Amino acid sequence: MRWFFLILTLFAVMLAVGYGARGTKFSKPPFELFPDMDRQYKVKYQKPSEFFEDGSGARRPVVGTIPMGYQAPLNKKDTPVGSEYYRSGLFGDFYGDGFPEEVKVDAALLDHGRRRFQIYCTPCHGESGNGQGVVAKYWLIPPTANLVDPRVKALPDGQIFWTITHGKGLMGPYSGAVPIADRWAITAYVRALQGASGN
Amino acid sequence: MGNPFPRWTNWLPVQIVICLGALGTVVTAWVWYTWTPKYTRVGYQPNQPIPFDHTIHAGQVGMDCRYCHSFVENSAHSNVPNAQVCWNCHGPGKVKSDSPKLEPLRQAMDTSNSNYTGAPIRWVQIHETPDYAYFNHSAHVNRGVSCVECHGKVNEMPVVYHAKPLSMGFCLDCHRNVESHLRPLDEITNLDWEAHDLDKDQFYAYLAEKTGKPADDLKEADKNKELNARLVGARLKEMMNVNPPQDCAACHR
Repeated sequence: MRWFFLILTLFAVMLAVGYGARGTKFSKPPFELFPDMDRQYKVKYQKPSEFFEDGSGARRPVVGTIPMGYQAPLNKKDTPVGSEYYRSGLFGDFYGDGFPEEVKVDAALLDHGRRRFQIYCTPCHGESGNGQGVVAKYWLIPPTANLVDPRVKALPDGQIFWTITHGKGLMGPYSGAVPIADRWAITAYVRALQGASGN
Repeated sequence: MGNPFPRWTNWLPVQIVICLGALGTVVTAWVWYTWTPKYTRVGYQPNQPIPFDHTIHAGQVGMDCRYCHSFVENSAHSNVPNAQVCWNCHGPGKVKSDSPKLEPLRQAMDTSNSNYTGAPIRWVQIHETPDYAYFNHSAHVNRGVSCVECHGKVNEMPVVYHAKPLSMGFCLDCHRNVESHLRPLDEITNLDWEAHDLDKDQFYAYLAEKTGKPADDLKEADKNKELNARLVGARLKEMMNVNPPQDCAACHR
């Protein structure tokens, strides 16, 4: 009896020390009792897949098909949704001015543009668009464009949209992170900032 | 004929019961303590290919969560950024572009790099619900549930770890008591938000504007109450009609 309790105490101490407290940091993947239920063999967001030859779970649409939720293309050159100007900011080889008919410029659009601008643009261009964002404050890189400068004010709307999409100079493209409708909203908000700056 | 069993054996059954009971207690305590996501998942802190520091990006620099996790409001899945998003700030000639820590990024993006592969960076997913539970990020962040409710204060984690259990019990605790976990939609990504930071007038004006319903009655009713997380959550739930489902099919299809 005495021996049993001595061994049991030792066993309990070993369990406590070996397993440690809840919340202890560890780097190995968490234990799962039924991994085949927890991790099913199916394609998941942003995960690799052994099923496809290139190892990528994310697939491109098959040529000539339209993803669910998109409209049929207007012509052969079009990718789905909207006019060419709405998608590119260009008419042929020239920047367009004014907002495409798909975009309704109202207070809600400006408000949405403000939120998006404050997420994606303020780190470099600053909250007021003057090019004095946090990047300019801490790291020495060539000056960021002052969006409320008369030079930028004179640019056509299509060029501002195009610059958000493709980047310019050191600025990288934002087409991957900011959808088309949001880019037009940001363009509208940049116009509002310029109007408010008095330059 | 004498008794074949010595006298001490009379106590043997009792001793066996006591020993088994003690053993059972230890094993039960161990199972209770460790067989739960509170033990198996909380604290998971894998090594990432690039030691991305959230305290710098989301803390010091003050970037919004959505700069990188850009589709959390539109999608069930909150994306990790593609390498282009990193490259927009850390490309050649830009912020810390020569850092050796960024080698995997250069391999993914820099075509002039001798080790260029063009393959995506293999970030390790930390928060991962089982595949039979379908969590929708957009449904939560568009109703006023902040990132911090499930992920903890990521802006204070130099290396991100699993902070909350994300077990089914954890989900249900919130679904049954949602008042304590809601906030105005503008503060979703403000992980340091406190309910008492809110201005009372602005809050009721926000409620009215957001829902198109008058909030004056509520404002009058709450005149003498302090604005705490529970009151804010209760008013948001009421006005925005937040009714978290508790049936199985809500998460399990």
